[in-house]
Amino acid sequence: MAKSCKSQEEIANDAIKNALKALRKRHLLEEAAHRPAFEALSRPIASQGSEWKEKAESLQLELQQCYKAQSRLSEQLVVEVAESRALKSSVQEKETAIAEMQKELTGVSEERSQLKSDLEQKIKALELVMSENSELKARLEQMTTKANKAEAENKMLVDRWMLEKMKDAERLNEANALYEDMVQRLRASGLEQLARQQVDGIVRRSEEGAEFFLESSIPSTCKYRLNAHEGGCAAILFEYNSSRLITGGQDRSVKVWDTNTGTVSSNLHGCLGSVLDLTITHDNRSVIAASSSNNLYVWDLSSGRVRHTLTGHTEKVCAVDVSKVSSRNVVSAGYDRTIKVWDLMKGYCTNTIIFHSNCNALSFSMDGQTIFSGHVDGNLRLWDIQTGKLLSEVAAHSLAVTSISLSRNGNVVLTSGRDNLHNLFDVRSLEVCGTLRASGNRVASNWSRSCISPDDNHVAAGSADGSVYIWSISKGDIVSTLKEHSSSVLSCRWSGMGKPLASADKNGIVCVWT
Amino acid sequence: MSGASTVSASEAHKLVWEGAIPLLIHLHDSEVTTLPPPPPALVLAPRLGYLPLLISQLKPYFSSTLPPGVDTLWFEYKGLPLKWYIPTGVLFDLLCAEPERPWNLTVHFRGYPSNLLLPCEGEDSVKWSFINSLKEAAYVINGNCKNVMNMSQPDQVELWRSVLNGNLESYQRVSSKLKLVTLEDEYTENINAVPTASQENSGEGDAAAQVKSGRIPVRLYVWTLTEDFDDLESAPQIDNWDKVSYINRPVEIHKEDGKYFSLHDAIKTLLPEYFPASSFGNLGDASTNLSVADEGENTCDPDSSSLPLENAEIKLVRIQGIEPCLEIPFSWVVNNLMNPEYFLHICICLKVSEANAVQ
Repeated sequence: MAKSCKSQEEIANDAIKNALKALRKRHLLEEAAHRPAFEALSRPIASQGSEWKEKAESLQLELQQCYKAQSRLSEQLVVEVAESRALKSSVQEKETAIAEMQKELTGVSEERSQLKSDLEQKIKALELVMSENSELKARLEQMTTKANKAEAENKMLVDRWMLEKMKDAERLNEANALYEDMVQRLRASGLEQLARQQVDGIVRRSEEGAEFFLESSIPSTCKYRLNAHEGGCAAILFEYNSSRLITGGQDRSVKVWDTNTGTVSSNLHGCLGSVLDLTITHDNRSVIAASSSNNLYVWDLSSGRVRHTLTGHTEKVCAVDVSKVSSRNVVSAGYDRTIKVWDLMKGYCTNTIIFHSNCNALSFSMDGQTIFSGHVDGNLRLWDIQTGKLLSEVAAHSLAVTSISLSRNGNVVLTSGRDNLHNLFDVRSLEVCGTLRASGNRVASNWSRSCISPDDNHVAAGSADGSVYIWSISKGDIVSTLKEHSSSVLSCRWSGMGKPLASADKNGIVCVWT
Repeated sequence: MSGASTVSASEAHKLVWEGAIPLLIHLHDSEVTTLPPPPPALVLAPRLGYLPLLISQLKPYFSSTLPPGVDTLWFEYKGLPLKWYIPTGVLFDLLCAEPERPWNLTVHFRGYPSNLLLPCEGEDSVKWSFINSLKEAAYVINGNCKNVMNMSQPDQVELWRSVLNGNLESYQRVSSKLKLVTLEDEYTENINAVPTASQENSGEGDAAAQVKSGRIPVRLYVWTLTEDFDDLESAPQIDNWDKVSYINRPVEIHKEDGKYFSLHDAIKTLLPEYFPASSFGNLGDASTNLSVADEGENTCDPDSSSLPLENAEIKLVRIQGIEPCLEIPFSWVVNNLMNPEYFLHICICLKVSEANAVQ
């Protein structure tokens, strides 16, 4: 076989054989040697593995069962919880219901006890009342018997009285018949007397001065109601023997009215203050006004111009008068406690009388020598114009004197006072010859002016209640009350003609009465 | 192998399929969380299999001691992370110059070095890598991979399962359907008999028509050294993949008159840069040279080349854990020592001169 040169095939086959040998050797060295040992070693692992697997499977089964059981239990739990909640809420409700009922119960028991006590009280009261009632019943019986008795008596008495009355009636009848008889006889004789009087009157009317008498009839109706001055009218006066009225008021104007027509005929301007008093000279030429501006103004009536302004007073001038004899002397009183005498020719004050009590009203005497003044202290004083000396004084009123006016014949002076009296003094003796008063008559202000009628028989004075009272001196009593004014009447003046009568009030209204 | 569908397995086939490497696998210290540390696992790893497929065997040993986390399995040998797509046997042949039995590996379950290794998602990654290689082989052999792609799903599953389980019969059943025929092997059954086929082989040009001279898919792992070593035990360690050049080239078999295509021829064909003197045309001369040199020698020994100094010196050739004679017919090698994906993995250790050294 061994050639020097191995054939290819042999080389190849040898190589292959060697390769196979090598493979077998490797097999022996590697897997054959180690496999048994490895398998032995891995058996416990494998068996453990299978053990673990079995354990895991059984545990999984258990777990599944546990989950099922848990789900069942949780379902049950949910149900139970819901039930318990419902029960709890119902218990809560019941508890609250119980509490309420308890409250009600206590309330009701209280009410019951209250009612019980009330009832007891009522029962007691009832018992009382019942006893009273029985008593009253007994009394009633007594009373009814008494009443019955009284009725019977009464009836009897009435019957008797009726009888007496009838007797009286008969007697009266007899008397009446007699009286009628007498009246008849009297009437017959009266008619005779009346006839005689009337004949007398007709005869008397035709005598002198009869007009005056007739015209001095008492005014009764308001002919005119003039809005004379705004703010009030305190001073009015008639011209001598005329029916022209001059008024002065708070609005600082002096107006001249025609009382027949009731219209203004002229205005006098120039006064710087309220007109407190007016006077006119005897010849109707000059008008003098006393003003609150401490001045006196003298107008010429025909021209209407201011002729003089008399200054000198240091307070308001509340009264002025001019002599009826000469037109030269003017006397004025101011609230500076002075009375000044002025000379109109010269135009200045000739005499000043100082007196402690303020003068409210002034008047010259008929002869022009004496001045009458009424003062706040209620006295009437007389002064001599030449000397300025006090002649006499008399207590006229208990309160302030507000007005002085002379009668036509100059014998009687009328004073009005705040004591609501109107006194008539005899000029020579200064004695009171009459006092006039009225229940509703109240003198309105310190400067309320009253006046005597031209026939010296009546006095007119205004009152604070707006009415004008007219007294008869002879009768000494009110004969008329004129109501027209709505506010206090401050001044009344009778025209020298007998009528009209003018009155001015606080609102500035002037009424003309006829 | 003949083209027939039913083939009986040769002894070599059986031995190759049953090959398994004993592994002693240690869990890396950084992943030991219990005291005492777990003992290393003893596993027999099939040579034709892949390291990641061992996880099911290893996990029971180490699961109780692993730190918490997701398992990312990888192996290392003496610090060198092991590429998982290389069959286990090849790794062992390449990295252990002197075979270490059992082979001590370190396993990691955490901290996959993605900068060094391709990602591996378990058995599926390995399977797809396998199928991919199969398609590559089919392309090399037939020029197209239609037969692989047209494989039915059950066939695919059975093919892979046969590889997993090391079932040679099942594998041969399925793979014969693929009709991946490479070479007519006249040597396999005819070791002791006078090869009638060899008569056909030598000199008959017509007989060449019967043999399909095709392209063989080869994966070549070349490990070059500059220093010489006396014995394998003192061989320097591969500590870096850069030292291994991986050559994926098909081998074209040329039939020569009077000479079969040997393993040495194949190597020279694959590495022309290291064997410049031997060209394709002069293959016959070279082989006669060799055969002359072989006379009087034990042809098994790895022969030192008497070629000029530019040629590298083949220190070691390993296929399937054995070191065949370089004169062994390549066709036998192909038909018997091929991996299931129809690739032939060859590990070579070359000693080169400084000038020719691979970096």
